[in-house]
Amino acid sequence: MKISEQQQGAVVVLRPEGPLVEGVIEEFKQRVLKTLAASMGRFVVDMSAVPFVDSLALEGMMDVSDELSKGGQVLRICAANKTVREVLELTDLASHFDHFDDANAAVRSFL
Amino acid sequence: MPDAQSQTVSAPSRRRFLLRGESAIASAGLTVMALMVCVMIASVWWAQRTQRTAVREARERQVNAAAQLLAQSSELLLAEGELTAVRRMVADAARDNHFEICRIILPDGRILASAQPNESKLRDLPAEWEARVAPQSEGLAAQNQWPLLIPGRGPAVLSISGGDTYVAGPNNLAAGVLAIGSIALFALLFLYRRMRFSMRGLGAVREALSALAGGESQPEALLISADLGPEVQAWNGLIRETERVRRADLAEKAREAVGRRQENKGELEAACDAISQGIILIDDQCRVRYANGAATVFLSSKREALVGGDITKFLQVPDVLADVRAITAGSSRRRSTHDVERREEGSESGPVAGVLRFSVRPVRREDAGSAMITIEDITQQRVAEESRNRFVAQATHELRTPLTNIRLYIETAIDEGEENPATRAKCLNIINGETRRLERIVGEMLSVAEIEAGSFELRYDDVRAESLFEDLKMEFEPQAAEKNIKLTFNLPPKFPTIQGDRDKITLAIHNLIANSLKYTPTGGRIDVSVEFSNQQLTVQVKDSGIGISEEEQDKVFDRFYRAKDTRVSKITGTGLGLTLAREVVRLHGGDIHVDSKLDHGSTFTLTIPTQKKAA
Repeated sequence: MKISEQQQGAVVVLRPEGPLVEGVIEEFKQRVLKTLAASMGRFVVDMSAVPFVDSLALEGMMDVSDELSKGGQVLRICAANKTVREVLELTDLASHFDHFDDANAAVRSFL
Repeated sequence: MPDAQSQTVSAPSRRRFLLRGESAIASAGLTVMALMVCVMIASVWWAQRTQRTAVREARERQVNAAAQLLAQSSELLLAEGELTAVRRMVADAARDNHFEICRIILPDGRILASAQPNESKLRDLPAEWEARVAPQSEGLAAQNQWPLLIPGRGPAVLSISGGDTYVAGPNNLAAGVLAIGSIALFALLFLYRRMRFSMRGLGAVREALSALAGGESQPEALLISADLGPEVQAWNGLIRETERVRRADLAEKAREAVGRRQENKGELEAACDAISQGIILIDDQCRVRYANGAATVFLSSKREALVGGDITKFLQVPDVLADVRAITAGSSRRRSTHDVERREEGSESGPVAGVLRFSVRPVRREDAGSAMITIEDITQQRVAEESRNRFVAQATHELRTPLTNIRLYIETAIDEGEENPATRAKCLNIINGETRRLERIVGEMLSVAEIEAGSFELRYDDVRAESLFEDLKMEFEPQAAEKNIKLTFNLPPKFPTIQGDRDKITLAIHNLIANSLKYTPTGGRIDVSVEFSNQQLTVQVKDSGIGISEEEQDKVFDRFYRAKDTRVSKITGTGLGLTLAREVVRLHGGDIHVDSKLDHGSTFTLTIPTQKKAA
């Protein structure tokens, strides 16, 4: 899975490309956890290129969220499409993440 | 292998053929039925035509036989002078053979005998009459007339008409067959349409099933237009129900996952763990009594090891430790704050990974002193602050330069202007230029503020690109000439009208050219090429300037960013021009790309749609 990385100030913006499903979720999770450790949680997951997610992806995101919550932080995601947002709403997981309209807004939230 | 491939290729083809076959069978059936109806109508018409011919020929034979018999009998009886018998015979023959007219006429036109009793005016049979016109038997027969020659008296003519018989039956039969055929045809058409409608729905369901088998799982892609019939509605219902069950299953799994993660934490501990700042409580022995989750992250250690351990083993910041020791020893109750740059793991002098703010506070206790350390990650704030400071410094410098020029030239104009009009004009011209520069700088700052606030908007209007480039040409040619740079504008012969914000588009192109002009040394060249194709404006600004290193090419569009090249730092600039240019172009639905090589120049390519995209 292609995951591009961009530095905006002190914040890392991770942008996975493609559906987050079984087979790629472990790679995604490891990459996010590595970024988390390197940036002390100053990162954002840009979901603009993720068409949909499955239950394993939700599990993976919850693992990352758990890891962040240990430091009193929350997983910041941005630009998720309607399908992904609906899945998060339906599964009552939306409250576990901070969602922003775009990467700039998410980066500004660290100020 | 080729066989396997051909099988996989032929399977969908076969399906398509079958789908087409259903339609072909229905069409062929309808055609055969229509042909059968046509053949049936044609057969009836042919039978009717044959029957009519036979009836007409039989009638003709009957009339001929009756006429010849009547003629022979009339000749014999009239020769005998039996006029009354002849008249009775004529009347009987007309009645028996359905003749409308049946009469014996003398050459002078007098009627000797007729089927109509009042037509015969002669009371008696004349003894002899003169033959005025000799009757021609062939011509008369053609007119349904037969010649008579009464021995001893003279010639006469037997005239018969009304021999045709109307055959009504076959016409009624044809009309009936035509009507039944038409009704059958319409019924067939109706059935065909119903079948086709039903087939379309089934075909769509079959295609959706094929897509499902091919791996398509998106319900939106599998749903079919509901107006294709009840089968499709049932299919859609099935898909929706499956999706509902899938989502319910997903939700259940997620709830289970969340449930597994629920830990039995105390409310206070849970609240402290929810704080993004680290909290560490230290007793009078410098042992950690409590540490929240964030603190374990900042100190890169596990809570089990941290709590109860010596803080000096986990925190290697001398200033902070000194303050902690002073507070726990009871020798100080001073609050202190330390911003500490944190290097990357295992590196003493590597790049800064973050900036942590340690705040040390005394905690009032009766028996002994204890301290609390709070840790906060202020990296992003520090970066933003540095950017702001850099911007303010650069902006101040940018504003000061034109203001100084304005002040100096106003002084010159006051001192020398009255005596030397040329100097005054030159001063005013420079003041005017510097004022415009000031205006542009302030405009850029305002635009950045608008972008930050999310209120940067475009005012769409029809933009005449020709005048836009003429203005830019007039503005930059003197500047290029002053710097001895060859500036070329390659403009197309015709310019379309662009839908956009004229000021903002001008700003974007202006910034690109100004940027090239700024970073191209004396004696260099700048080529501005403009093209219109596929409803898109493409502006390419190519210079022979100092260029941008590969790793900095993405960053030059970042706000306040200025390249690390020492040559750049000697040139004034806010680091906003390219940011604004790209923001403006992206708001118009276009983009800007840079292709550059250090010391060999840069090419900035701006593309912008000429028509506003529908919202």
